[in-house]
Amino acid sequence: MSAGKVIAGLAAVLVAAEGAFAVAANGSSKLLRPPGIQGEADFMARCIKCGKCIEACPYASLHAAGPAEGAAAGTPCIDAREQACRLCKDFPCVAACPTGALRDVAERSDPKAGYARIDEEVCIAYQGYRCEVCYRICPLIDQAITLDFQAMENDDIHTKFIPTINKDVCTGCGLCVERCAVDEPYVPIRIVTRAEQERDGGR
Amino acid sequence: MSISRRNFVKSAAIAMATAAAAGSVASMTGCAPKVNEPINGDSVKKTLAVCRFCGCGCGVIVETLRGKVVSVYGDPENDSNRGLNCVKGYYLSKILYAEDRLTKPLIREDNSLKGTDEGFREATWTEALDLVASKLRETWKADKSRLAYWGSGQQPILEGYATSKFWKAGLRSNNIDPNARLCMASAVVGFMNVFQTDEPAGCYADIDHADVFITWGANMAEAHPMLYSRVMTRKISNPKVKHYDVSTLGTRTGATADKVILFGNNGDLAITNCIANYLIKNKTYDKRFVEAHLQFKKGTENIGNADNDGYDKSEIGQKVDATESITFEEYAKRLEPYTWEYASKISGTPVEDIKELYELFANPDIKILSFWTMGVNQHNRGTWMNHNLHNIHLLSGHYCKPGDTGFSLTGQPSACGTAREVGTFCHRLPADLVVANPQHRRYTEAVWNLPENYLEDIATPGFHTTKMFRELSNGNIDFLWSANNNWAQSMSNLTRFLGRGAEDKRGIFDAFIVVSEVYPTISTKYANVVLPSAMWIEREGAFGNGERRTAVFEKAVDPPGDAMWDMWQLMEVAKRVLQDEKIGQEDAFDLLFGQWYDKDAADFKQESQREVCKSMWEEYRTFSNPDLNPRAAAINSDKDEKFGAKLKMEAKQLAPYEEYIYQHGMTWPVREIDGKWYPTKWRFAYGDQKEGYDQIGIEKYGDKGLAGDASFYKSADHKPSVVFRPWEPPAEVPDDEYPFVFCTGRLLEHWHTGTMTRRVPALDNALPEALLDMNPLDMEALGIKDGDRVKLVSRWGEVEITASSAGRTQPPQKYLFAPFFAEETLINLVQQEMYCPLSKEPDYKKTCVRVEKLQG
Repeated sequence: MSAGKVIAGLAAVLVAAEGAFAVAANGSSKLLRPPGIQGEADFMARCIKCGKCIEACPYASLHAAGPAEGAAAGTPCIDAREQACRLCKDFPCVAACPTGALRDVAERSDPKAGYARIDEEVCIAYQGYRCEVCYRICPLIDQAITLDFQAMENDDIHTKFIPTINKDVCTGCGLCVERCAVDEPYVPIRIVTRAEQERDGGR
Repeated sequence: MSISRRNFVKSAAIAMATAAAAGSVASMTGCAPKVNEPINGDSVKKTLAVCRFCGCGCGVIVETLRGKVVSVYGDPENDSNRGLNCVKGYYLSKILYAEDRLTKPLIREDNSLKGTDEGFREATWTEALDLVASKLRETWKADKSRLAYWGSGQQPILEGYATSKFWKAGLRSNNIDPNARLCMASAVVGFMNVFQTDEPAGCYADIDHADVFITWGANMAEAHPMLYSRVMTRKISNPKVKHYDVSTLGTRTGATADKVILFGNNGDLAITNCIANYLIKNKTYDKRFVEAHLQFKKGTENIGNADNDGYDKSEIGQKVDATESITFEEYAKRLEPYTWEYASKISGTPVEDIKELYELFANPDIKILSFWTMGVNQHNRGTWMNHNLHNIHLLSGHYCKPGDTGFSLTGQPSACGTAREVGTFCHRLPADLVVANPQHRRYTEAVWNLPENYLEDIATPGFHTTKMFRELSNGNIDFLWSANNNWAQSMSNLTRFLGRGAEDKRGIFDAFIVVSEVYPTISTKYANVVLPSAMWIEREGAFGNGERRTAVFEKAVDPPGDAMWDMWQLMEVAKRVLQDEKIGQEDAFDLLFGQWYDKDAADFKQESQREVCKSMWEEYRTFSNPDLNPRAAAINSDKDEKFGAKLKMEAKQLAPYEEYIYQHGMTWPVREIDGKWYPTKWRFAYGDQKEGYDQIGIEKYGDKGLAGDASFYKSADHKPSVVFRPWEPPAEVPDDEYPFVFCTGRLLEHWHTGTMTRRVPALDNALPEALLDMNPLDMEALGIKDGDRVKLVSRWGEVEITASSAGRTQPPQKYLFAPFFAEETLINLVQQEMYCPLSKEPDYKKTCVRVEKLQG
């Protein structure tokens, strides 16, 4: 195993530890929320756990957070790898929300539930494979994800087609996570949620 | 700590790259499988292979451990891809191991359940082969026009060779055709008409030299992923390099092009004629090239469409291939109506865009590389459009120079190597030979050691693919055998061909259908017997890719259960069908196959599949090495002046089998210099053979010192034919009832009908569903939202599908796209069965449909 692998493995452990710490320290989780979230604190203050948004979702993308999430248990969240948000044109989940915990979305590009981040170590596009599944599946193709063409080292006839996330445009719908063609040793694309952004100062 | 697959792949790749640098990969992957350092006490075996999927033909290295493939990665020494793959290639190892592999022969007991997976029982090989052979023999003896074989551009070269030999010499039937008819036939007829030799003159390395790329009806970014990576390398290495995408809809290829030029209404024919018109009118054509190399012709026009089963035999249908010579001036005259305005009116393309394309061809100082594929071939005037692309490249002298040429991209891994080079078409014989030509039949008889005139019986071509399935539906085919394809999903007009339409078109339920397969498919649902086959690297084989590269894949693992090599299946059927038959005084089977197969032992005579292939290759390569057979050599040189022409068979020269392993594939013609074999990268271009130019071919048959250092020595009078081909409309034109133009094609994640890639969980997850791409304005007008179910209705049939505006393709208004990989969304139920009258290739790109929103 290369040194790079060891570091990546350690990083994964650190991320997991960081997550656990975050729940314990802040009392808030880092869940991926439905479209219309205006900030984790704002959302938590308004959400009454009525489940109406979960019922309204035609794709069954939303589910109630489990008891391990502490105060957030029962609030709506998305497991992007399982079933991502499809960014419905009419946002039935937002329309169903009685308290405005989810609000203010009109266009498919409006939601800001988070943004996607790619692990360059594991993503096979970074190795030169023509993959880019995340790019082609993106509902905001050529906007939220674009391709960056980079020369390959030691190969003068091929180019890396690097999927590149535009953080300001990405809605955090998670479809790229759901469809990613790689899952070993782990899925190399994930959503940095609003909660995480706030906790980490927008990183 | 257990090593993850990815780490394993990566470390293995590094090991290979290191070995490659030391120049030792060839020896590592030579004849005998070599072993690596042991892992956990067992040894990893490395073998050489070629990707199972598209026409790019990427080389791969396969690693097996304890009889199972553990990794597949790009072969750094295969010059087609030099070590890289797409995501399909990344998952190659997984295609072998889905749970529902066919491992036992199946015999249908209940014919009333035909069309379903039910009604089969497991059988022994003896029982299944006896049944298949008895049905084939019975049909053959009764009326051999009623039997058919449907092969494939995914059939390995020698399996295709043996099948063709059995069908054409054993059964003396031309009712054999491959699925390449649905894919490359228009390109083939174009090459044969223009150059009298098939396949592109150039190679993939042309990409590294081009200044301008033009993709015509080619979604390379998705359908030829590794080649497109190479195009992008050329582009980023030099900002002056431009890419124009000429298409009917926005694709991922267009998304990365410098300019997208959209057209409709068969306007590609008008645009290319318009370019030719102004090249001549403005005297911007290449005068020296034209005078040295070209002749001019016109052909039959107003040819209508193959809208009835009797079209080929109709008065016009019989004249479609006819051409006559005209002068350059007459050709110019015929082009005159194609003004900027007229071409723009026909195509809907702005005049400025057509002018911009013209300016490229009018510029002698840039290198233009045109790529075209299914948008050009699957076209009711597909052959004509192939002509027109050759025409503008030839007139402007942008031909046959590195980076400056026209290149027809191939769809399947061995459409070139098997369907085209072996000649598994109903009108062909191996190596560019055709059944209708007496000299070609004599030559084939010589190589196959048949009595002279034995092949007179097959002078008339048999049923081409659509004819085959039309006659099957009409009840005029009693026996059909298919392998390496999935016709029940990939054929057009499935409503008719699957017996779901008119009462008098349900012959599929009465015919005896044999399907050799590796997984259950829609085709196996219609089978009477299913024969379980060895898949990909479960046997030895070879593919010939889009740049004329022949490459071997070694057997790496055994097939599961009772699954068997297709070659063995063929031998076992052939020996039964030909029992007690004679050719001259000799036993028919032994004369054809006795060199390789012992019918009493029911096994091959050679010790290994490698030795079988090597021996059979020696016979096959005699076609392109006439000196190996004195009788063939005399016909090749027309020694007795019986035929009035030389065949020049060496134009396709192939090397001894093992060279292809040692050199990780080679592009033909392959030439021997001082005991070493050298590929030809640029056919008809004079230069040093060792640098990849066609030195030996030109010195033997051509002329040196002509314009562009080119010599088209295979063409009649050494002059390719520029044939005037006019604009004629699509087979169907949108109207109030069917206002949309519907196109189908491939997407990157899935291969063809998805029977392999959809069984790879990661690929299935990446693209789980076939969506109908619509223009958002059309969706709004019809009240359709993303994710709504809709019904597509054509004159031919209907299918339900989910609508999308997600942008994978971006159709303009009134255009639609959906891929054909998903069997639950059988979009070929709506596709028209109209084909190009010359190539007989169906038009999959412009069936007229309407879209109905489904309630609920």
